[in-house]
Amino acid sequence: MKFVIESLTKNGGRLGQLHIKDGAPEQRTPLLMQTTKGGSIPCLSADVFESHVTRKPQVLQFTLSTIDQMTEALAQWNRADRGLSDYVGFPGHLNVLLLRDPCEMTPAGGNDRDIQPLFTRRGKESLSPQRYMEMVASLKPDIYQGLCDADTNADSSKKRVQKSVDRTEKFMQYIYENKSKVESALLAPIVGGYNTFARTQSIKHAHEQPADSYGGYVFEGFHTNGLAATTLDASKLLPIVQHCVGQLEEGKPRMVPGAYTPLTTLELIGLGMDLFDTSYAYCAAVNFKALTFTFAQDADAVVHVPFLDITDDANKEDFTPLLKKCDCLSCKKHTRAYLHHLYKTNELLGPILLMIHNLHHYLAFFEAIRQSIASDGLQQLTELVRRQNGDSQVDYGIAPNRKVISKATMGKGFAAAAV
Amino acid sequence: IPPLTYKVVAECSVSKARAGLMTLRHSEVNTPVFMPVGTQGTLKGILPDQLIELNCQILLGNTYHLGLRPGIETLRLAGGLHKFMGWPRAILTDSGGFQMVSLLQLAEINEKGVNFRSPFDNSECMLTPEHSIQIQNAIGADIMMQLDDVVKTTTTGPRVEEAMERTIRWVDRCIEAHARDDDQSLFPIVQGGLDVPLRQRCVSALMERQVRGFAVGGLSGGESKHDFWRMVDVCTDHLPRDKPRYLMGVGFAADLVVCVALGIDMFDCVFPTRTARFGCALVDSGQLNLKQPKYKLDLEPIDKQCECSTCKRYTRSYLHHIATNESVSCSLLSIHNVAYQLRLMRSMREAIQRDEFPKFVIDFMARHFGKDPIPTWIQEALKAVNIELPPAEEKQEKETIKQEKHEQAIEVS
Ligand SMILES: [Zn+2]
Ligand SMILES: [Zn+2]
Repeated sequence: MKFVIESLTKNGGRLGQLHIKDGAPEQRTPLLMQTTKGGSIPCLSADVFESHVTRKPQVLQFTLSTIDQMTEALAQWNRADRGLSDYVGFPGHLNVLLLRDPCEMTPAGGNDRDIQPLFTRRGKESLSPQRYMEMVASLKPDIYQGLCDADTNADSSKKRVQKSVDRTEKFMQYIYENKSKVESALLAPIVGGYNTFARTQSIKHAHEQPADSYGGYVFEGFHTNGLAATTLDASKLLPIVQHCVGQLEEGKPRMVPGAYTPLTTLELIGLGMDLFDTSYAYCAAVNFKALTFTFAQDADAVVHVPFLDITDDANKEDFTPLLKKCDCLSCKKHTRAYLHHLYKTNELLGPILLMIHNLHHYLAFFEAIRQSIASDGLQQLTELVRRQNGDSQVDYGIAPNRKVISKATMGKGFAAAAV
Repeated sequence: IPPLTYKVVAECSVSKARAGLMTLRHSEVNTPVFMPVGTQGTLKGILPDQLIELNCQILLGNTYHLGLRPGIETLRLAGGLHKFMGWPRAILTDSGGFQMVSLLQLAEINEKGVNFRSPFDNSECMLTPEHSIQIQNAIGADIMMQLDDVVKTTTTGPRVEEAMERTIRWVDRCIEAHARDDDQSLFPIVQGGLDVPLRQRCVSALMERQVRGFAVGGLSGGESKHDFWRMVDVCTDHLPRDKPRYLMGVGFAADLVVCVALGIDMFDCVFPTRTARFGCALVDSGQLNLKQPKYKLDLEPIDKQCECSTCKRYTRSYLHHIATNESVSCSLLSIHNVAYQLRLMRSMREAIQRDEFPKFVIDFMARHFGKDPIPTWIQEALKAVNIELPPAEEKQEKETIKQEKHEQAIEVS
């Protein structure tokens, strides 16, 4: 894995080229990775994704907590040298393996001395560093994250934070010693909650390793995934990130997994973060929100809102698209009224159309981010996203949609559609 | 131009099977055709574009569900269901009566219509033939169904005759109420239970009405297969040759093949998409339940010959892991299952056009039943239209052995 910085401005973000493996296309950073669940882009088949979201090769973000049961099949599959992305229907696409699903809240606790809990669909599994490395060897991702204790957030006690650093160090000791057994590139985890001292300690441990031990960093422990990331307090987060970034070398990419809001994402990019994922677009879709925030610099001075809430009865007879001027399939061919109907009838096509729109919108957002960095306009873009042409800062937090029809009321067989 | 024209393109020289072309306002439809069921204005997890890619020409919508949600006012404002759901091709709607009788506990039929309690506020409501047509006019489907008097297929006695007679009276009220005869075609429904003379009487009475096609109803509801095929056979014997015939609620592969041989042109069934939700994929030999552990390490596609987007990209192994867990598995298996049904119908059409339909039937039954004996009702139904399945010597031997063992067992006990 190689990473080349193309341009760098103080607080204005950095543009880079990420070369993950030979023969694969280079990826431009800041990069939006496609979050997957059970190996699939949520709700979308590979065919629908390529036909209606993008044909450009993506970096897929796999999570062990949703694909752990596929390890045995992949060990067999990979004997023919086919790869994890091929197995899930995306031949040739690059991929990264994370531990936790950024789309769903990770339960707390279960942090025993020598093992890391892995919360899967079937319940809690115990993951030793040995077992983890065996699984990585079977799954053969292009990039994988180091095993870490990320069970911290802004409310964690000092003791819990310290424990997460100590346990991560211990796990990583094993990983560094055994990483030659796998071919995948490693991301060193930086943990330590909201504590500058603990974060420094975590960075130090990574820096004690030989320079080529790992190809980049992954920042964990700021939130416990799911909607929590959309409502975290950026004024607490950003100083810690700034503190960490000051200690990192330029030449390695930095990943921050999770459903950070568009605004926090921009601020993290301003501080020098490089790799993000689509869990925010997913969290919005699954709570029946279509993303409607504007990031077009030349936009009319109209005030925009972050979302369209599909559950709102005002949509019942609104035959306009989710977002005017959007050229995704959902907006070109369907209406708010139809999406509202699909919500009311709990039909699977609802989340599908919302995912198409939200991913389309978020990919365009990242394209706009890269352009703004190139033209030294990241701060302007950040201000636009912050206020949406209005006077006050808009709220990008996503509250759980209480109106979501429960699995129980959907009848048998619908459980699968409930997400 | 009438809103429906139908032309027989080819006829099987042996059986009653025929291939036709039905031209509707929104689409041409090659028959025999299978119509996937999009109950509430969407086919479970499939985009309209994907259906077009599969060359699906006509979808079914359910009047009862659409009348509740989004409701007739919204549909009117949207300009009909085609526009509302973004489906440019043909649609057929049922009358809503069957859904009521099967879904609502208190539904009760009298001469006025179907009396039922609203599932929302428990108030008493009445679906009359006129009301059903009003809703269907608002939906705007290319083909709509009359409200019929639905009785359980296993009902016997005077109630069956009453239902048949009432169905005929109701078709006149439906025709009278139909406000969009220039755009939409109304099909009457042949009733008459499992009684041959009643079925014949019903067909003759309906043929006196000005209609562009016919539906055969009141079957596929738990009657014996022997009764089932005989009723279909009676109806197609008497229905006019130059109009399409729709057999309601039939969609298992073997039933489709038999009923095409008996001269049916149109079918619908929720089975392919419903079974997909439970992780089942249709193949010629039946269906694969992908949740079974034996598929965990099976790196083959569902069907190597299938050209659907699911079989092109995904293995049984991957589908095994996501079936019933990830919602995308519903979409993937529904696509394959709908593709399977449509391909089966296309193969039949092509076989009829080459006048090789009997051979197709024989080959299909061999693939479908494999080493198992072909059910007697299928052998009899096909024999009635001059398709003789080859005597399976090996199978008969096997059956004899089974029989012997059975007898021994009886002797021993
Ligand atoms: Zn859109
Ligand atoms: Zn297939």
